[in-house]
Amino acid sequence: MIDVVFLLLVFFMLTARFGGYQAAPVALGGGAGEWQGPPRLVTVGPDRLALNGEPIALSELSQALRPLLPDAAAPVVVRSEEDATLQRVMQVMDALRENGIATLVLAE
Amino acid sequence: MRIDSPTRRLPRETVVPMINVGFLLLIFFLMVAVIVPPPPFEITPPQSETKQPAELNSPLYLSASGELAWGEARGEAVFDGLASVAGPESQQPLTLVADGQAKGAEVARLLSRLAGLGFARVELAVMP
Repeated sequence: MIDVVFLLLVFFMLTARFGGYQAAPVALGGGAGEWQGPPRLVTVGPDRLALNGEPIALSELSQALRPLLPDAAAPVVVRSEEDATLQRVMQVMDALRENGIATLVLAE
Repeated sequence: MRIDSPTRRLPRETVVPMINVGFLLLIFFLMVAVIVPPPPFEITPPQSETKQPAELNSPLYLSASGELAWGEARGEAVFDGLASVAGPESQQPLTLVADGQAKGAEVARLLSRLAGLGFARVELAVMP
């Protein structure tokens, strides 16, 4: 019986996946209502960032976006350049979420 | 006269704590284990601060090199399968497990294609 217990123990130790994944919701483009306010396009490159075409630092991005938001839930379009990784995009999206800008649309 | 030396019996009690610990660990692993079929290829989701547990019911996988997998389907065939489960009645969000090194533009293309199929909500799996 002890053998069986240990067998089960080893089985669960090997199959267990700790922590699991977390989920970050992403807004899907299209189907949303009419665009409100000025354009808010964040272009993410591998090591550069641009807000509406103007280069900007990550630390200043949320500050610069705030006056462009007509309300707190207004969407911000995040566009990834061809050579930027998903990790880099998530880093930028994290920085925006941290500052209360939560509706992020990942666009082509 | 020879007296047999008393046969020494192993004290059974020493085994009992070990069994207890064994059961304890067994119960622990039973509780925490999430048995999910492993991803079809090596995937390291991006790291993020998000604190929201992901539900992994039939996720869509995207590898670093852009391969797609959903259930048994691979490549372009995943969209046929996904189209059959998409629609307004699918209240559950689709979980996209994409590699952190996948191209952001490719994820964006995939997302807009999923939106076109009729998915209302998509969640991106991330690691804490």
